[in-house]
Amino acid sequence: MTDRLKSFLFRLRFRTKITLGMAAMLILSCVIIGLTLSNMASTALLEEGKKRGSALSSGLAFRLAEPILATDFLQMKNLIDNVHTQYEDVVYVFLIDTEGNVLSHTFTGGFPTDLLQVNMDPSDPQPLLLSTEKGTIYDCASPVLLGDRNLGTVRLGLSRDHLEILIQRQRWTALLTTLGVLTLGLVLSSWFATTVTRRLNKLRWSAEEVVQGNLDIQTSSEPRRHCWEIMQCGKQECPAYADTRRRCWYIPETLCEDCQNIGHRQKIENCRKCRVYRQLVGDEIQDLSEAFDVMALTVKNHINELIEREKTIVQQQGLLKTIMNVTPDFITLQDRNLKYQFASKAFCDYFDLKEDDILGRTDFEIFPEEQADSNYHEDRQILSTGRPLSKEVTLSRKGREVWMHVLKVPVYDQEKNIIGLLLTARDITMLKKYQEQLIQSQKMEDLGRLAGGVAHEINTPLGIILGYTQLLLEEVENDEWAEDLKTIEKQTKICRKIVADLLGFSRYSQSTSQPVDMNRSLEEVIKLVEHVLSLSHIRIYKSLDPNIPPFVGDHERLKQVWLNLINNAADAIGQDGVIYVKSKLCAHRQRIIISIADTGAGIEEESLSKIFDPFFTTKSVGKGTGLGLSVSFGIIKDHGGDISALSPPPVEYLPRDFPRSPSYGPGTVFIVELPLEGKTLEKENEDGGHCST
Amino acid sequence: MHKKSVLCLMLLVLSLGFLFSCGEDETPVKVSLEKREEISIRPQAAALTYAYLPQYSHTESFQRHNRLVEYLSQETGLSIRQVFPDTFDDHINKFGQGKIDISFSNPFVYAKLAGRFGGEAFTRIIEEDGRAEFRGKIIARRDNQEIQTLEDCKGTSWVAVDPSSAGGYLFVLGHFVEHEITLDDFAEVVFAGGRQENVILGVYSGLHDIGAIREGSLSVVEDKIDTRQIKVIDHSRWYPGWVYAHSPRLTDETVAKIKEAMLKLDYDDPEHRDILEAARFKGFVPSSDEDFDPIRDLSKKVGLELD
Repeated sequence: MTDRLKSFLFRLRFRTKITLGMAAMLILSCVIIGLTLSNMASTALLEEGKKRGSALSSGLAFRLAEPILATDFLQMKNLIDNVHTQYEDVVYVFLIDTEGNVLSHTFTGGFPTDLLQVNMDPSDPQPLLLSTEKGTIYDCASPVLLGDRNLGTVRLGLSRDHLEILIQRQRWTALLTTLGVLTLGLVLSSWFATTVTRRLNKLRWSAEEVVQGNLDIQTSSEPRRHCWEIMQCGKQECPAYADTRRRCWYIPETLCEDCQNIGHRQKIENCRKCRVYRQLVGDEIQDLSEAFDVMALTVKNHINELIEREKTIVQQQGLLKTIMNVTPDFITLQDRNLKYQFASKAFCDYFDLKEDDILGRTDFEIFPEEQADSNYHEDRQILSTGRPLSKEVTLSRKGREVWMHVLKVPVYDQEKNIIGLLLTARDITMLKKYQEQLIQSQKMEDLGRLAGGVAHEINTPLGIILGYTQLLLEEVENDEWAEDLKTIEKQTKICRKIVADLLGFSRYSQSTSQPVDMNRSLEEVIKLVEHVLSLSHIRIYKSLDPNIPPFVGDHERLKQVWLNLINNAADAIGQDGVIYVKSKLCAHRQRIIISIADTGAGIEEESLSKIFDPFFTTKSVGKGTGLGLSVSFGIIKDHGGDISALSPPPVEYLPRDFPRSPSYGPGTVFIVELPLEGKTLEKENEDGGHCST
Repeated sequence: MHKKSVLCLMLLVLSLGFLFSCGEDETPVKVSLEKREEISIRPQAAALTYAYLPQYSHTESFQRHNRLVEYLSQETGLSIRQVFPDTFDDHINKFGQGKIDISFSNPFVYAKLAGRFGGEAFTRIIEEDGRAEFRGKIIARRDNQEIQTLEDCKGTSWVAVDPSSAGGYLFVLGHFVEHEITLDDFAEVVFAGGRQENVILGVYSGLHDIGAIREGSLSVVEDKIDTRQIKVIDHSRWYPGWVYAHSPRLTDETVAKIKEAMLKLDYDDPEHRDILEAARFKGFVPSSDEDFDPIRDLSKKVGLELD
């Protein structure tokens, strides 16, 4: 077969190939079968013709026995003529006796004597084919036997030409029949090819649609009946119910009785025995179409799921990026080679870099060598040890110094291998300022207390000096002495003034009164210390009563109280704890109650009465002066309020969901009560009137 | 175009295959049917004619007596040929015409041959039952309950072998007459053309109520019908058996040779037994015309003429 023919056949449509193939097979089969059958039929016709001739002559021989015995020539003639006239293909019949006498024959105008020269021995193969002027003739010789006696021989000539006509007629009939069958076969094969290829074409079309992204295809034909109609199950919750696109055996987790709690493979095996399967199952192409539809539907569902997931991921990525870009904190992610994989917008903005200038690069390509080298060794340390790093550093940029709290933590993958390094850095400059202010404030407070204490001690002798000086002035008459005493009195008064000023300093005598939003003052303090405390894993919970009216007082001094109390609570906790700040308006007792509870170590009962004394402290040496609570006490007293402490705190000062932990201490609650404007704080009755926070 | 050509070529091959397949491989022998001559039968050589009264078909007659005829030819050195008369009357007529030299007939026919043409008995046969006599039988269908006795035969349809039949008519008629039943007492009396088989088959088929056959005929049709469906109503008396008679033209010497050959047949001799068994008898006994006087008496009694 040449390449050109191969190429031509390859390019033919599948339907044409099937049609041509089947036509070729049909024609070949018809030729082979037709020729074989025609040969067989022709041979059979010839054989039957021969046998018929022999049968006719044998039958005649049998019937001629009695006429021969009776020498009944008439009957002989009648019998012979009867056969001769009855069958048109019988050319002649004659009877000869054992002596060779022709007893009877069908010839007119003499007897062809040549016939007596041939086929005279009936034991010769019968019949003998003769070629005569009347065509070829089968000469059949049958002996007239009676027992073992031979009475004569019947000779019958059967026209071979007549048989040939029959054979030819049979061949034409076979040819026409074969051509008819062939034509019918070609039509049927064309129809069959069209039927098969139509379904294949539909499959091909469906495949093309899938390739083009259209997964809403229906290749297989919908069954005449559906599983829920056959089973009449009425299980509308079944996934197969009302699903007209898929046969139920392709659908997992159907609610059939035999298909529950088994795997899909076992389910398929069960389905093969199910009458639904037996009624709805199709041929291989139908199976292929259904499987294709199921595949398309599954792929579509899978793609839809992926699209949904992608949307979610994109949304989450956008949200994460927004958070990363909005947060003022520096956030970076480096891989094991310390190349940046991510850098937040704040980071980029601070260093005047674009994201593309950072990603995929190391510190050596971004920062000065000295800083990059420092970072490199620090980062390598973390990657090798797995220990996070927390530090506070100052950065100077564009003439501005910024305090940053830097936290570097290793990033692990699922196999617990370190795959990178996460850096977060927060600007704590403001916090640092507050801390400095707080320290300064504490210093000033301490100094005031010290000065107050000293002044208090000096004030008495000064009063005595002034008193005795004034007594001497009344009694001295010497003007010079009096002048000196006046100088002493004057200087003593100056000292008293200085002491009074010192006492005033210690009590912040320069306080101002103005309406104070109590909650706001609390929140300001909380905000100030929240981050610092969180470094020690101390969280602050708050519950502020929005109904608290403005309180006339010194905003800053009150904040100092809250700061002192919260710092005290934090000191009592140390690491890992909770501080609960609560404000409440106690309307029926005309007061505002502020409570600050903690989960710290608590205060022993004997110490509770001393904690507000100046210089009393339970802290170790160098950790506190013992003036914080006494100053706070003084401030609250100045505002007409009261301050007290309970350890452990009663439950009414704690929220219901106040966290508990085995590591938490008994805790303490400081309760500050401040009278509403124009009111005075009354003493507690024993019978109650208590107004807890 | 290419495909069409291939298709046409294949169809052509198919057609040719059909039309020209099956070539003839037989070689015919050339014979002329045009070369003709008027032909005639060559006359047969002179021979003594031997005829068996056609109580059975010619085939049966041939098969029974062919060997005996051959034996007699060999034994006597005479040329003997069996001939086949069609009927009893034909037998009688041909004997009268000289076409039958040796007649084997029943005693009734013999009485006619002797009376009419001078035939003379010289041997009688010994039947298979060992007797040189035989008798007639009256038969009916076994399921015919209306015919149980001889008296029941009155008013029935009677089929007999031939008016010249002895066992198949005469003996039975004599038996009826002895019991005061005449031909007028029957609804009909028909004859079966001289064939014993036809009588039996006529009764068996229900065409006739009773039939008359000679002793031993039932065995002839054993392979054709179930003979158990036939019952025998009664028998006639025993009469002299079948007889060989010769034409008065034969010389005494010839008759003696034949008679001697017949009497020589010994049933105990295997070769002879085959001949005798084919002929359905056991042997021969000498016979003379006087042996058949009871027949003549019987004929007279029933009113049949022999001359």
